[in-house]
Amino acid sequence: MSKDDLLTKTLKDTVLTRRSFLKWSGVLGGTAALAGGGLKFGLKAIERATAQPAEKAIATGCAHNCGGRCQLITHVKDGVIVRISSDPSEDTLEAPALRACVRGHAYRRRVYYPTRLQYPLKRTGKRGEGKFERISWDDAISIAASQIQSVKDKYGNAAIHLVAGSAGGSQTLGIGTAARLLNLIGGYIDTYNNYSWACIQKATPYVYGTQTCGATRNDWLKSKYILMWGWNPAEMIDGTNTMWYVKQARLQGAKTVVIDPRLSMSAVGLADQWIPLYPGTDAALMSSMAYVIISENLHDQEFLDKYVVGFDDDHLPEGVLAGNSYKSYILGTKDGVPKTPQWAEAITGVPAETIVQLARDYAMLKPSVLYQGYGMQRRAYGESTVISGISLAVITGNVGIPGGWASGMAFEPVGPQGGGLSTGNNPVTYKVPRYKWPDLMYRATEMTPEEDGVVGLGPGEKHLPTNVKLLWQVAGQSMLNQHGDINFVASKLADESLVEFILVNEQFMTPSSKYADLILPACTWMETSGVTKNWKYGATFINMPKVIEPLYESKPDYEICAEIANKLGVEQDYTQGKTADDLVQDWVAVAQKADPNFPSYEEFASKGYYQWQFPDIHDSMADFRADPVANPLQTPSGKIELFSKTLWDMGKPDSIPAIGKYIPEWEGVSDPMRSKYPLLGLTHHYMRHSHSTEDNIDWNEEAWPQRAFINNLDAEARGIKDGDMVRVYNDRGEMILPARVTKRNMPGVIDIPSGGWWDPDQNGIDRHGAVNILTSLRVTPLAFGNPQGTFLVEVEKV
Amino acid sequence: MMNVRDFALVAFTILSQMAVGSMIVLGIVHFFAIRKAGMQEADRLSDQILPAIGIVLGAALVVSLTHLGSPLNAPLAILKLSTSWLSREILFTVSFFVVGAIFSFMQWRSLSSFAVRNLVAWIAAILGLMQVFSMSHIYMISTEPAWNSIATPISFFTTAFLLGSLAIGTAMVLNYNINRRKDQKCAEVQCGLLRDSLRWISIAAIVLLGVEVVLAPLYVTSLAAGATTAAESASLMLNQYGLIFAFRLVLVFIGAGILGIFIYRNALSPGREKILGNLTYSAFALVFIAELMGRFLFYATHIRLGLF
Amino acid sequence: MSSQLAFHVDLSSCTGCKACQMACIDKNDLELGQRWRRVYEFTGGDWVKMGNAYINSVFTYFTSVSCQHCEDPICVNVCPSGAMHKREDGIVLVDTQKCLGCRYCEWACPYGSPQYNPTLGKMGKCNFCYDLIDAGGKPACVEACPMRALDFGPLDEMVARYGDLRDPAPLPISSITHPSVIFTPHRNTYPAGSNEGQIANKEEV
Repeated sequence: MSKDDLLTKTLKDTVLTRRSFLKWSGVLGGTAALAGGGLKFGLKAIERATAQPAEKAIATGCAHNCGGRCQLITHVKDGVIVRISSDPSEDTLEAPALRACVRGHAYRRRVYYPTRLQYPLKRTGKRGEGKFERISWDDAISIAASQIQSVKDKYGNAAIHLVAGSAGGSQTLGIGTAARLLNLIGGYIDTYNNYSWACIQKATPYVYGTQTCGATRNDWLKSKYILMWGWNPAEMIDGTNTMWYVKQARLQGAKTVVIDPRLSMSAVGLADQWIPLYPGTDAALMSSMAYVIISENLHDQEFLDKYVVGFDDDHLPEGVLAGNSYKSYILGTKDGVPKTPQWAEAITGVPAETIVQLARDYAMLKPSVLYQGYGMQRRAYGESTVISGISLAVITGNVGIPGGWASGMAFEPVGPQGGGLSTGNNPVTYKVPRYKWPDLMYRATEMTPEEDGVVGLGPGEKHLPTNVKLLWQVAGQSMLNQHGDINFVASKLADESLVEFILVNEQFMTPSSKYADLILPACTWMETSGVTKNWKYGATFINMPKVIEPLYESKPDYEICAEIANKLGVEQDYTQGKTADDLVQDWVAVAQKADPNFPSYEEFASKGYYQWQFPDIHDSMADFRADPVANPLQTPSGKIELFSKTLWDMGKPDSIPAIGKYIPEWEGVSDPMRSKYPLLGLTHHYMRHSHSTEDNIDWNEEAWPQRAFINNLDAEARGIKDGDMVRVYNDRGEMILPARVTKRNMPGVIDIPSGGWWDPDQNGIDRHGAVNILTSLRVTPLAFGNPQGTFLVEVEKV
Repeated sequence: MMNVRDFALVAFTILSQMAVGSMIVLGIVHFFAIRKAGMQEADRLSDQILPAIGIVLGAALVVSLTHLGSPLNAPLAILKLSTSWLSREILFTVSFFVVGAIFSFMQWRSLSSFAVRNLVAWIAAILGLMQVFSMSHIYMISTEPAWNSIATPISFFTTAFLLGSLAIGTAMVLNYNINRRKDQKCAEVQCGLLRDSLRWISIAAIVLLGVEVVLAPLYVTSLAAGATTAAESASLMLNQYGLIFAFRLVLVFIGAGILGIFIYRNALSPGREKILGNLTYSAFALVFIAELMGRFLFYATHIRLGLF
Repeated sequence: MSSQLAFHVDLSSCTGCKACQMACIDKNDLELGQRWRRVYEFTGGDWVKMGNAYINSVFTYFTSVSCQHCEDPICVNVCPSGAMHKREDGIVLVDTQKCLGCRYCEWACPYGSPQYNPTLGKMGKCNFCYDLIDAGGKPACVEACPMRALDFGPLDEMVARYGDLRDPAPLPISSITHPSVIFTPHRNTYPAGSNEGQIANKEEV
C-alpha cells in the first residue's frame, strides 16, 4: 500500500458518499494532512521522540455487556482517533485503575471498521435474504413511524415488541431510548428476567429473601479460601477489576480453587487448583460436599439453629413431614441415596478423594467464599443448582461474616446514582419471560402463566390479546443470533404472515439484521455524548463524551428515536428539549445531589470517571447476622430458608424441589440421547467478543479465532487433528468450522464459544460457529430461564 | 519453512558459488594448458569463457536483490563488517566481481604483463574463496541447528567446485565447437587440451561426488541425533522431503559418477568429440539440477530453534 | 551499557487475555499478521480415566513475549546494514530507513521478535515504546495489562525485585542471547527445553 496519510487510510476501505466526505472535510477544515506520518505501521524511523503534532487525549469508556466498565483514552488528531489507551492511574485498594481488556483496545478498529452501516437500508429481497437498498433518512423515519402507528392502530400496543439488547452502552444509545419512545405512545409487550441471570436471580430470594446478599469486593481480602464455581472473572469480566481483587486476596494468603469443565483463564491466572467436572452436574458435586461436611461434623450447627429453616427435620416449616429437610436429602435418609463422594464421582467425573478434600477445605479454611458463576445456572435446572450452592455457604456459616460469602446472586447495594434517561412507565402490563419472546410471534394467544410464565394479564384475561406484529431490535442480537435454536427462530422471522414489520437500529449488518425490513444506522458511543455506569459492583460512572463526528449518516439512537417521535407527534415529550449533552449535565446534577463528593462536570470529564466507594467493607448480610430478630430477611420465616415452603407448595418436586437438589438434565450426562450425541456442550464467553459485539472485527479474529474446542481424547477417537475442519451437529442444526484440539476441556466436553455470528451457506450449514444453532428453546422450570448451556452434540471430521 | 524469496537465495547461492568455482577451475586449466601448449593456445582455450563467468555472477547478484524487501537499500548491506557475515559476504562477492571483471578486461585487451594479470587473477580467486567462506558462515548461527555445522561450508565449497568443474567443461566444449567452425587448424591442439581438461574435470567431479554422497547421510544422522529442532529438521528431510533427498543423490550420482566415468573414458582418445560433448552437457545439466535440489533442501528443512 | 531496560512478566498473574497484544497492535498501527507482542499458551499433561472419574495432570500457563532487548542481541550482530541496533538504554530498535528487508534477523532471533512486513518490505519489532518512555510514560503493553502482570525498568532493579528467571518454557535458554526480560514463574512453569508441554495456540502467535 502507498504511504497514505492517516485519514485517507482510515477511510480507504470504505465507500464514502460525497455528502459525508464533505461533512468530514468541513470538520477537518478541509485538510487531511498529518505531519510526520510517523504512526504508520510502526515506521518509527527516528531514534529519539520528536515533538509530535498536537494530539488530544479524550477520556471515554467502554460499556458493552461483558460486565466490565472500563476507561478508554482516545488519542485524537485532526478529528480522527489514532490510538486507544486505557486508564493510566495508579492502583489503590479502594479505586484500582479501570484498565480495559483486549476488546477495548481494539475499539478504534471497530469504530472505523469498513463494514459500518452508512445509511438507512430498506429490504428488497425476501426477509432474511440480506438484500437491501439505500433510502434517505426522511423516508426511513416516515416508514418506521407509520409502521409503528399502523400496527398500534390495527392490533394494539401489545403487538409491538422491543427485543432485548444490551450493546448500547450509554444513555443516548441502546434499547432505553426506544423504550422511552414506545412508552409515550402506549407501550409495548415487554419481557422479564434476562439471558444472564434468570435462574440465579429467581432462586436466590427463596433462600435469602433478596438478591442483594453480596459484599464489596475488598471483603475477599479477609477470606482464607475462595471457591470459584464456574466463575471466570478473568475471561468474562465480572465487573472491571474483580479479577484484580481476587489476585489481591491471593496475595493476602487466600487459597483459590476453580471448578469448571474447562481450564479457564481464571483457572490459569487466579487459581491454586482446578477441579474439572461434567457440565450440568454441579449440584451433585455440591451435594456430596455437603455430605462430607455434615457427616464429618464440619457444619456450623449453632448458626443453623439460630438463623436457618429447613436444614434438618427439626427445623422444617409447619405441615411439612420429616424426611424432607436438606440434611435428610444429603444423607439419603428418605430416598435411600446418600449423596456420598462415591455417588457424586459416578455423576460428575470428579474423583471421590478430591471431593472429600474440597469439602474439608471449604468448610475448614474459614472464612471462605463460594462464588457461583452464571454459566452453571444457565442450564436445564439452574434454579436448584443455585440453591444447592447457597446451601453450602449456609451450612458452613459463611453468611454475613467478614471474608465469607453468602453465594447466590450476591448483588451488593448500589451507591448513589445519577439520573438516567428515564424510560417512563409502560402502559402495557403483559410480560413474558425473556427466553420465550419468540413465541410471541406465532402463539402469543395460546401462552399461559402456568406453562409459559406470562404475567400481567388483567382480571378475567386468560390469554394475551394478539401475536406480535412488529419487532424492534436496538443494539443487540437477541432477535436471532443470541437466542436459542437459530434455525427455528429464523424460520419464524422469515414468515411474513407472522410479524409484519421488523425494525433494527444497528452499527453493522449482523445476522439478525438480515431479517429486518428496515435498518437504521446507529453510531457508536464515541460519536455521541452520554454517561455509563458500572455493571454490578459499587458505583463507577464513566463519562462518554463525543470524541468524533458520527461516521457517514449514522446517528445516536436517541436522535433516531426523537425523529420517530416527531413523526408520531410526541417529540416534545420525548426529548423535553434536551440534547445529548443536556442529558449528561442532568445526569451529573442528579449524581451531585445524591453524593456530595461527586465532582464538578469539568473534573468528572477530565478524570473521565468517578468511583464511589462504600465507606468500608460492606456486607449486605452483616445486619442479619448481627441480629436476625431485629433485621429479619424477607422470607416467610424471616430466616434463611434452605427449605422453601413456597417452592414446596408449587407441588413440582421433581423439577422445582423445595431444597437444593441434583436433578439429572435432559440433554445432560445421563440422557440416553448421548448414544447419538455423546458430547456435552459448553459455550464460554470468549475474549474475542462481548456476546456478539466485535465478533466481526478482523483484529479480534486474529487474536481469538472462532474454533470448536475439542478435548484431545475425543479428537483422537475421531481422527481429528488440530486445525481440521469439523462438523458439529445435533438435531437442531449443524456447523462446520476448524477444530482446536485442546487438553483444557474435560474429555466428553466440547466447547463452542458463544457470540459467533451465524453464517449459513446455501445448504443452511453455519460456517462460522454460532453456538445457538445447537441450543434448545426449552425453558427452566421455575424461572422460565434460558438453559442455553445444556445441549448435546456429535462432531466429525469433514 | 520455505517461502518464495528463498527460491531467490537458492538461485543466488548456486550461481555465485558456481561462478567462484568456475573461475578457479578455469585458472587451473589455463595454467596447465600453458605448460602443455603455450600461452596462445591456453588463451584460446579460456579467454572467451572468462566473461561468461562474469555474466553468471552478475545474474546472481541481480537475482539476490529479489529476496530483499527493500532492494533500494541494498548498498547499505556492507556497513556491518564488524559483526555481520552477510556484510562480509556481500563485500567479497562484489569485490570478486569487480576484480574478476578487471582481470577479464586486462586479459581481453592484453593490458600490462602476464605477471600482473596473473596477480589480479589470484586476488580475484582469493576473493572468490572468501566469498564462499563468508556465505557459509552466514548460516552458521547458533539458533539454526540444521545450518550450524561444518557440513555447510563443505557443502558450499563442494557445490562451487563440482558445478564449477562441469560448467567449465561445458563451456570448453561449446567454446571448442565454436572455434573449430571458425578455424579447422587449431582443432587438434585445442581438442587435445580439451580432452585433457575433461579427463581431469571428470576425476574432480567423481571425487566431489564422493564427498557429497558421504556427507549427506553423515549430516542427516548427526542432525537426527541432535536436540529439538535439529531432529525435526532431519525428520523433515527424510519424510516430507525424502523423495527429493533421495532423487537429488541419484541425479548427482548419475551425472557426476556414471557420466563422469564415461567422460573420462571418452576423453582418453581423440575422435569422440561429439559424444564427449553430449556427455559433458548431460552431466552438467543433471548435476546442476541435483545441486538446485540440494540447495532447495537446505532452505526447506532448516528450523530455527525457539519461538515463532 | 549505561543501563539496560528490561521487562518483567508475572506468569503467575497472566490470564492470557491479550490486552497487551492488542494495545501494541493499536499503538503501532500494525497490519494483520504483524504481532509484535504475542501470548503463547503452554499446555501439557493429560487425562486418565479411573473408574468413573477422570484424573488429570493438565496444566496451562501463558507467556507474553515481545522482544527481549537482549544484552547480546544476535539480531544486531547479523544485521548487514546496522538497521538493527541497540540504544544506550538497551532498547533494540529497527531503523527502518536502513533496513533492507533481508530477514537475516528473523533467521537468527530465537524469540521470533523481528517480523517481516510484506507491505513495507521491512522488518518490524517491539521497540519498547521508546517514544512513550522518552516522554516519561510506560510501554503500551505494560500500561494495558488488566492483571498488572507487566512491568518495566532498569534490569538490575527488575532482578532485585523479581528474581532472575529469564528462560521459562517455551522460551529458549537464555545463554544464547542473554535476554533482558525477567519472569516470575507460574506454579506450573517449566524450564526452557522442557517437553512437559507444547505451545497449544500456534496459529495465534
